Amino acid sequence: MKKQFFKLPAIIFLFILLVFFYLLLIDRNPSEIPSALLNKNVPEFEADSLIKDEKFISSKEFGGEIVLVNFFATWCKPCRDEHEYIKLFSKEKKIKIIGINYKDNPKKAKQWLKDLGNPYSNIVIDKKGETAINWGVYGIPETFLINSKGVIKYKHVGPITRTVYKKINSLINNIN
Amino acid sequence: MINKNLIIIITCSLFLFSFFFNNLFAIEPGEILKDTRQEERARKISKNIRCMVCQNQSIDDSNSTLAKDLRILIRNQIIDGKKDKEIYKFLADRYGDFILLKPPIQLNTFALWFLPVIFFSIGIFIIILHNKKSK
Repeated sequence: MKKQFFKLPAIIFLFILLVFFYLLLIDRNPSEIPSALLNKNVPEFEADSLIKDEKFISSKEFGGEIVLVNFFATWCKPCRDEHEYIKLFSKEKKIKIIGINYKDNPKKAKQWLKDLGNPYSNIVIDKKGETAINWGVYGIPETFLINSKGVIKYKHVGPITRTVYKKINSLINNIN
Repeated sequence: MINKNLIIIITCSLFLFSFFFNNLFAIEPGEILKDTRQEERARKISKNIRCMVCQNQSIDDSNSTLAKDLRILIRNQIIDGKKDKEIYKFLADRYGDFILLKPPIQLNTFALWFLPVIFFSIGIFIIILHNKKSK
């Protein structure tokens, strides 16, 4: 009986080893951090709009329909890369897209949209990056999917690629 | 010979220099608060906040722009009269507990905090049991 007891540490050790091996083998990116804002309401804020004369008021923009929120800047190369997919969301899925122009020059941003096309229905000017902090953003491009009740359902850090596009597409079909 | 000595002196002084100035921080002069007590609080909080961009540095060490923004934000909140706890909560609500370099003691971090103690006690228990037997 006693001898059996001493096998316990070995078994526990093997179990821990197994857990570590599992974490090592599954497909995951440890530097990607799940958003603390998932399943929470969109942060409330007011800011200047890049393309409209009136102020951007978050409570007026969210709720009622599915909205995609995309943090971007002209100085951010991956943002340019993902822009094609942002446009696809607006063309194919016909969903409302709000852009948040992070620490950018408004003039350059307007020119950028002229050159590449503007899929955004409204764009927030976030000159000091305060809106980004309120959204828990740490590296643009970042994209959020908000349901029709104004709740954040998904966050993607980094540029939208074909696989991410497909994933968000299926999410759009499944959330309300 | 002179050259050799010179090299030794330079190396030593470089070593000493790096030894004394190794706690250079990323904070810029413009950010520092005039009230030294408030500044001390800000430094203490910054040392416990993870830079989300570099992830293994605190925002006190990092010179990424987000770290700078957060340092300024912490100082502004201190000036506004916020308590340390409220500032930590503000950041954790937005970036998750991951932003705290010292994880809080709660249900999902229970194993992290207490497993070492539990394993240690099991180990001691086994040693005592083993010693009794060999006697």
